[in-house]
Amino acid sequence: MRFWIGALLLAIAAGALAVSGVNEYFFFAAYVVITYIVLATAWNILGGYAGYVNFGTPAFFGSGAYAAVVLFQALGAPLVVQIAAGTAMGAALGFGVGVMTLRLRGIFFAIATVAVVFIMETLMINWRYVGGATGLQLQRPEVMAPFATYARMLFFVMTVMAIAAVGIARYIQTSWVGRGLRAVRDSEEAAEANGVPTLKLKLIACVVSGGLMGAAGAPMPMYLSFIEPASTFSLNYAIGALAAPMIGGTIHWLGPVIGAIVLASLQQIVTVTISGEMNVLVVGVLLVLFVVLAPDGILGLFKRWLKSSSR
Amino acid sequence: MKQSRRNALKAGAAIAAASALPRFAIAQAGTVKIGMSMPQTGALGAGGQAALLALRMWVDEVNVRGGLLGKRVEFIVYDDQTNPANTPGIYTKLLDVDKVDLLIAPYGTVPTAPIMPLVKERKKLLMGNFSFQVNAKVQHDMWFNNSPWNDASSWSDGFFRAGQKAGAKSVAILAADNDFAQNLANGARTLAKKAGIKSVYDQNYPPTTTDFSSLIRAIRAAKPEMVFVMSYPNDSVAIVRAVNEIGLGPQVQIFGGGMVGLQFTPIMASLGSLLNGVMNYNSYVPGIKYPGIEDFLKRYSARAKEAKVDPLGFYLPPFNYAIGQMLEQAVNGANSIEDAKIAAYLRKSEMRTIVGPIKFGKDGEWAQARVVQAQFRGIADKDVEQFRQIGKQVVVYPDAYKTGDVITPYDKARKAK
Repeated sequence: MRFWIGALLLAIAAGALAVSGVNEYFFFAAYVVITYIVLATAWNILGGYAGYVNFGTPAFFGSGAYAAVVLFQALGAPLVVQIAAGTAMGAALGFGVGVMTLRLRGIFFAIATVAVVFIMETLMINWRYVGGATGLQLQRPEVMAPFATYARMLFFVMTVMAIAAVGIARYIQTSWVGRGLRAVRDSEEAAEANGVPTLKLKLIACVVSGGLMGAAGAPMPMYLSFIEPASTFSLNYAIGALAAPMIGGTIHWLGPVIGAIVLASLQQIVTVTISGEMNVLVVGVLLVLFVVLAPDGILGLFKRWLKSSSR
Repeated sequence: MKQSRRNALKAGAAIAAASALPRFAIAQAGTVKIGMSMPQTGALGAGGQAALLALRMWVDEVNVRGGLLGKRVEFIVYDDQTNPANTPGIYTKLLDVDKVDLLIAPYGTVPTAPIMPLVKERKKLLMGNFSFQVNAKVQHDMWFNNSPWNDASSWSDGFFRAGQKAGAKSVAILAADNDFAQNLANGARTLAKKAGIKSVYDQNYPPTTTDFSSLIRAIRAAKPEMVFVMSYPNDSVAIVRAVNEIGLGPQVQIFGGGMVGLQFTPIMASLGSLLNGVMNYNSYVPGIKYPGIEDFLKRYSARAKEAKVDPLGFYLPPFNYAIGQMLEQAVNGANSIEDAKIAAYLRKSEMRTIVGPIKFGKDGEWAQARVVQAQFRGIADKDVEQFRQIGKQVVVYPDAYKTGDVITPYDKARKAK
């Protein structure tokens, strides 16, 4: 209950912020950070809870974005419908990929998910209706009241989506699904032998994770008022979605949130402070540092600190 | 001890006061802030760094001349990593946090496209930077592009004219299924149809293609008299190598057209003699008599060496320097740094730049396209400096800037000195 009261307060605060006089740049930067919160949270459902490392984030993210573009092009669909379509598309792709690849494990599963990215990118490159390789410029519709600009509205929408994503991840973590997924992560054979429906649970995780990633991608074309395959299916999304839970911690729903805020904010700051090659290094260096010094992420460090101070 | 500490404090105070003085003087005179993002890493990073150097040269020089309207020019640049997702945020920061007065677009079409609605909403002037048709849909009336092309046919026009002069009546078109290559291919197809040139081969290839031998063999089998290619840097290299290995057949009069990458120094240096005979689009090659460009390139070369960027700098740097020149001329001419006034001046006046005179059309592109078609001749291997010589790339189109006639057929041009 406390979680949902907090979530409600957060949504109200985001709404108030979006209609306040805060500088426009904040909303552009915050939108990207919050997108990474959704992506990292979604990634952690399969990658953190079940231990299946997914490099296919851009495929799900991109399919959501392109689903939104198709609906916008064909019917001029409003943003809510675009997000619903993006979620459905991501979930459907998650189901398809899950059925085909979840029999693979470890490195083989990871490689299979990378392949999905290239398949999706190639498909979009060859689809003229959504701009093909050239890309497509989109004329954004008028912004809805009470928001003054589209960036402010998207900031609010993305915050609500992030809250929903974290709520879902939290539910999965504490429910029978999460317990089952943890059993899969520790030993899939033992879990199966004890009657845990491993494939079904992994499929649920894959569908939910894919759906959330698709949802995160859906507003992107409206944010950019442009879409093209190379950047939509950029592996940067895969790295960001994977790095954030690694940095924050994978065992708790809060881990990816903390990781995404730290990492994406840092990237945003570095982009406008240290220009040039240095900013590309940031994620890599952070990831190496955390893997070496804090394998359980910031949450793990915090736990260790709590333990040592209670002694 | 006490004495020395007091002295140190005094010295420190004196230094602080002295360093504050010039800042105060500048603050009094004011500054004009010009902002942009430039791809300095990622796919367009290498070109972006060279282009940025040219813009920095203009900023330094204009400040030596006393700045814009007596105000020092402050130049704020961020790296967008060739990622279009970064540019809307960067340009909002430039406008709302850095409070820049004037905006220049990032190099390239993809990073520019997402900022077009933003600049239109904010009614800001945007100087375009080698992008292609990004304003076609948005139709911002304060957009002025520095690129010498306007519509898709401006890339292929010179190529087809040269081919027709040589008596060619058929064409093979090979185009990357990528970015503007498809737009250009359509321009070429329209032009060919209008001119009554028969298309004997027309193929798009996926941008990830690395082996072109089967495509080149198919072109050879179709026996075209012109081979028009629209490709991206890596593909261009592979295509030139494949053509040199397999050959196109003795009937081919001209080969090239819209191959991106053959203008870039590292690619020209690595291909060397394989480039001979290729006739390709360009923005500038030595021998074109633009006022001031040779002097610019001398100054550029010295700084490029220090900055470790493209040592020749023919393709992008002069056009980026020209952005600065246009801003300078327009700000002085309009006697204002207000976007609308500068835009009005840019619309009605002819700009004098180191890449020749520029007059803008209604859509903010050049009223008269000036895409050069030049033929590589007598190129040796492993020699970057040779490209500075006049005659290594002979301008065959447009007529006003011609430095020689096209040599046909292609096989003969390959051996020409």
